[in-house]
Amino acid sequence: MKITDLLKKEGIALNVDAADQNAAIDKLIALHEAVGNLSNVSAFKEAILEREKKGSTAIGMGIAVPHGKSSAVSKAGVTAITIPAGIDYKSLDGNPSNLFFMIAAPDTAADTHLEVLSKLMTLLMDQNFAKKLVEAKTADEFLSIIDSKEAEKDKEEAAKKAAAAPASAPKTAKKLVGVTACPTGIAHTFMAAEALELKAKELGINIKVEKDGSGGAKDVLTAADIEAADAVIVACDKNIDMSRFNGKPVIVTSTKEAIHSPEGLIEKATSGNVAVYHHTGTVTKSADTGVNESVGRKAYKHLMNGVSHMLPFVIGGGILIAIAFLLDDYSIDPSNFGSNTPVAAWFKTIGGAAFGFMLPILAGFIAQSIADRPGLAVGFVGGYLASTGATFAAPGGDVPSAFLGALVAGFVGGYIVVGLKKLFEFLPQSLEGIKPVLIYPLLGSLLIAIVMCLINPIVGALNVWISGVLTGMSSGSIIALGALLGAMMATDMGGPLNKAAYVFATAALANQNETGFMIMAAVMVGGMVPPIAIALATIIFKKKFTAAERKSGPVNFIMGLSFITEGAIPYAAADPLHVIPSLLVGSGVAGALSMAFGCTLRAPHGGIFVFPVVGNMVMYLVALLAGSAVGCLLLGILKKDAPEA
Amino acid sequence: MVSQKITVTNEQGMHMRPASVFSQAMTPFSCDVKINFNGNTYDAKSVMMLMSACIKCGAEIEVVCDGADEQDALKKAIELIESGLGD
Repeated sequence: MKITDLLKKEGIALNVDAADQNAAIDKLIALHEAVGNLSNVSAFKEAILEREKKGSTAIGMGIAVPHGKSSAVSKAGVTAITIPAGIDYKSLDGNPSNLFFMIAAPDTAADTHLEVLSKLMTLLMDQNFAKKLVEAKTADEFLSIIDSKEAEKDKEEAAKKAAAAPASAPKTAKKLVGVTACPTGIAHTFMAAEALELKAKELGINIKVEKDGSGGAKDVLTAADIEAADAVIVACDKNIDMSRFNGKPVIVTSTKEAIHSPEGLIEKATSGNVAVYHHTGTVTKSADTGVNESVGRKAYKHLMNGVSHMLPFVIGGGILIAIAFLLDDYSIDPSNFGSNTPVAAWFKTIGGAAFGFMLPILAGFIAQSIADRPGLAVGFVGGYLASTGATFAAPGGDVPSAFLGALVAGFVGGYIVVGLKKLFEFLPQSLEGIKPVLIYPLLGSLLIAIVMCLINPIVGALNVWISGVLTGMSSGSIIALGALLGAMMATDMGGPLNKAAYVFATAALANQNETGFMIMAAVMVGGMVPPIAIALATIIFKKKFTAAERKSGPVNFIMGLSFITEGAIPYAAADPLHVIPSLLVGSGVAGALSMAFGCTLRAPHGGIFVFPVVGNMVMYLVALLAGSAVGCLLLGILKKDAPEA
Repeated sequence: MVSQKITVTNEQGMHMRPASVFSQAMTPFSCDVKINFNGNTYDAKSVMMLMSACIKCGAEIEVVCDGADEQDALKKAIELIESGLGD
C-alpha cells in the first residue's frame, strides 16, 4: 500500500489560514468530505474529537496526525494541510504544529489504520522531509515529495531484505512470475506454487505465481505482471498458454523440480542467464528454450492431456451403464441385457452417449497438446473415425480401431497440424489469419480421415483372420482358447482384438451348445478383470498411481463388476507398455480358469448382474478373483512409481 | 542488558495512543529501551519509531533494556503491555 493511494490531490490544502486546533480539524474533515471518504461528517468529527480528548495526536517536530476509526467513514483515506506559521495543538514537546495529516479509517477489523500510521511515521522521521512538505507550494509538489520519499524508503527496505538473505541472493529485489500446472490440477499445482512463493519470500524476491488448477486458473498473470518480470518460471506437467511469454527469459521445468528445489530455480531465474523464449505456436518448440525434455516425457505429457480430459466421460458413462444393468431384468431377453426395460434402456443410452465422446476427446486433447488449439479439431475427427471405424469403402463405419486407433489418431493428428504449420510458413504475414480458420481445419481433417480410413481396414482384416484362428482353435485345447480370449479382451479394451473375441463369443453363443456358453463365460470374465485389477492396484500399490488415478480407482470396481472393460482405458492410455501386459496376463488367467472349471454363460453381457445364471458360479467367481489378483500383482511389479507421486 | 518477549494484545495494535503511552512511560528511565520486532530494532522512547514499527495485534515483540535501571524499566514495560497500554 502506498500513501499516495490514500492521499489525493483534492485532499491537500497548503498554507491554510486556521487560527486554532478546532479550525484545523474542521478544514481536514472538509477535505475528507470533498474527496468522498465520509458517509456521516458530524459523526466522524465526533470520533476525531473523542480521540483528541484521550491525548493529543501532535507527536512533536511540528507534526500532528489526528485520526478516527468510525463507521462514518465509507472509504479509508488521508488528508493533509500545512499551516506554516504553526498553531498550538497541545503537542507532546510543547512546540507549535505546522504539518497535519488526518487519517480516516472505516470501522472494520483491517489494520489499514495502523499500516498508514506506520508508513507515515517512517517517512516523517526524516526532519528534512517534513520541512520540505511544509514549504511545498502546490498540492502536486506535496504529492511528488511524498512519492519520491516513499520510493526511496521502499528501495532501502528491499535492499535491507536482500542483504539479510543469503549471499547468493541478488542485491536488488528481482521480480519473477511463474505458472504451475499438473495434469490433474489438484495437489501438485499448488504445492509447486507454494514452494516457489515461500522460497522467493525467504530470498527477498518478488514473485507472482499463476496456479492453473482444475478449478480454473488462480492469480492469473496480467500482461503488466509479465512485462515487469525479470524472468518467467514455467513449472508445468501439461501444456499451458506460452504465447504470452514471447520475448521473456523463460525457464521450462516440472512441478516436481519446483517442489524439490525451488531455490535452484529462483537462483537460475535471477541469474540473468536464462534463454529468451520465442513463441512459435508449437509446444514442441517451447522445450528448446529451457530444459531439454526427453521424447518420452513429451509423449507422456501429450498422453496425459488426453487422458485427463477423457476420464470424466468414462466415469460418468460407465456408472450410468452399470445402473442400467442393475435395473434391468436379464430373464426378459438375455441377449439384450441392459436395454430390456425402458428405464434400463434410458440409462444405457445416456451412458452410451457419454462413452461415445471418450475416444474423440482422447484423440482431440492429445492433438491439442501437440499442436495447440489447431490440433483439437483434427484430433477429434480422427478419434471419432477410430470409434466408428470408417473406411474408404464404408465411410459410415465398419471396423472400429477403437482405443488403440484413437491413440494413433491423437498423435498423428497433432503432428499433421505441426507439419501443416511448417509447410505454410512461407505464406505472407497478411495471410496469417487464414491458417487457423481454413488451412489447418480443412487439410488437417482431410489428412487424418485418410490415415484413419487406411488403419481401420487393416484392423478389419485382422479381425477376419483372428476369427478364423479362433474357430480353428475351438476344436483343440479349450483351456488355451480361454486364455487367449481372455487376453484379447484386455489387450485393447473395445478395440479390434477385444471386439474379435467378443463377436466370436456371441457367435458361439448363437450355437446354443455347451462349448458356446463356455466361450462366452471366458470372454466376459476376461473383460471384467482389467478394471478390477486396476481398482485393486490403486489401493494396494498407491505409489504407482497419480492422485487423480487413485481417486477414480474405486469406480473401477463398479465398472469391472458390470463388465465395462473401458474403465481401464484411462490407466492403459497413460502407461500402455506396463499396464496392458499386466491386464493381458490377468485376463488370460481368468479366461483359462473359467474354461478349466467348465463355467458357462448364456447372456452376452451384464457382469455380476448375470452371475445367478452362470453355470458353476462359485468357480466362476474364483476365476475372476484369481485373474484380478494376478493382474493387480503384475501392475505392482511392472508399473514404475507415478511421475508425480 | 535484560530482555523479555511478549505478545501485544491491544485490539488495534501499537497505534498512536498506546505508542505515546508507552514511549512517555519509558522516557523517564535512564537506560536504553529498544523493541525488537520483525528483524528490526526500534527505540521505544520515540513515539514515531514505535508507530513506524507497525506492530499489530497478536504480534510478538522483544523488549530490551540496557543501562543502570534496566530491571525497573523492563518490569514497567511488560506491565504496561500486559495491561493493554491503556486501550
